[in-house]
Amino acid sequence: MTLEPIISTHNLNLWYNDTHALQSISMNISKNQVTALIGPSGCGKSTLLRCFNRLNDLIDCVKIRGEILLDNENIHASGTDVVMLRKKVGMVFQKPNPFPKSVYENVAYGPRVHGVKNKGELDSIVEQSLRDAALWDEVRDRLHDSALGLSGGQQQRLCIARTLAVEPKVILMDEPCSALDPIATAKIEKLIDALKQDYTVIIVTHNMQQAARVSNYTGFMYLGKLIEFGQTNQIFENPREDLTENYITGRFG
Amino acid sequence: MSDKFHTELNRLKQDTTEMAQFARDMLRESLDALFNQDTEKALQVYSRKKHIRDVTIALEDRTYQLIALYQPMAKDMRLIACTLKMITAAERIGRYGKDIADMVKDLKDQPDFPQRLPIPHMADLVLGMIDDVIVAYKTENLDPIKNFTPRDDTVDALWLSILREMLTFMMENPQTITRSAYYIMVARYLERSGDHACKMAENIHYMITGEWIEIE
Repeated sequence: MTLEPIISTHNLNLWYNDTHALQSISMNISKNQVTALIGPSGCGKSTLLRCFNRLNDLIDCVKIRGEILLDNENIHASGTDVVMLRKKVGMVFQKPNPFPKSVYENVAYGPRVHGVKNKGELDSIVEQSLRDAALWDEVRDRLHDSALGLSGGQQQRLCIARTLAVEPKVILMDEPCSALDPIATAKIEKLIDALKQDYTVIIVTHNMQQAARVSNYTGFMYLGKLIEFGQTNQIFENPREDLTENYITGRFG
Repeated sequence: MSDKFHTELNRLKQDTTEMAQFARDMLRESLDALFNQDTEKALQVYSRKKHIRDVTIALEDRTYQLIALYQPMAKDMRLIACTLKMITAAERIGRYGKDIADMVKDLKDQPDFPQRLPIPHMADLVLGMIDDVIVAYKTENLDPIKNFTPRDDTVDALWLSILREMLTFMMENPQTITRSAYYIMVARYLERSGDHACKMAENIHYMITGEWIEIE
């Protein structure tokens, strides 16, 4: 059973040239919940994640069939504004990728692109976003220093703040902690838990303990198929499919 | 997860099976010593108490290490959870054996009952349940533990019957009080051992299927 879905996919298929990378994926992503996608390398989990804000459009050889609904609207409909879609569905990548600008400018960049000019308003968005990303106390005195001077964990939280600044509904995270040490990882995990109050989070991770710790729902993918999808505690305690069982107990992968 | 983990896990399971068998033998042999007034055998069973304690601690320690080092999931996690419960229940059963063995010397000079008592029969039923639990755990097969509810009901009925019988003996002949009181304890230990077997069976069911059942 899932709660009210914010994203639904119906029979989603994706090809890279002749490679059938996603095969008939149908799933519901619940609103204000954290959903984790796990599976061995090359199973399609990052590809699926990138479908949700049409990042795969940037790759020439990709062909997509099937339906993805965001708030019941087809994101592939002809009238869809991809910039607005990516505002609603933000993304945080594996490696922190701050712009080579100040901390402040990194966060203010998105709202500026979307037309916010007033300095007072921008200041307030920057502060709120940094607070929501649990970074404000660490950078309040160095807002105008280069973002590249922050630690890896701080840079990743800055990227999350940058995503939050444009008020998305969904945040996609592709291995957000894989380049971080355990302390920085713990901070991001705590943050993910807090973010679900206001946002829906979808996270791709290789770290199964992390998926178990942070998510409410987990999908296990293998060779382009969604093998099993369910509540996280069920998946990790008593998976229904042998493939899931074998993967999460380390018998392959 | 590494093969090393699964090798360690299999070894832990094997050693837990052996420990449960050791505890089961303590109970069996203590009862034999009691029924045959064999004080030498009783002493021998009693002397195993340190070993079972040491093995319990060592096995628990290995279990916690596997959890800390590998954070097992799904079937592996359920096996670990079940193993911890098996270790605890088996140690308890072994200690009942030790306690029964300790009674034998006290009963040496006490008059015996002329009539046959149902305690040996109760002991066979309980030990049969423990044997089946060990087989089910070892082979991950539900068949040996599927009829535990009626089997435990029989054990409970025997415990009440023995209790009533012993009270009658004590009232009829105060010379039997010591032996009767000890036999009440023995029957109680057997009833508790039956309950431990049921608890282990519930955990084995969870280990195999991921679902909980209640054996009442």
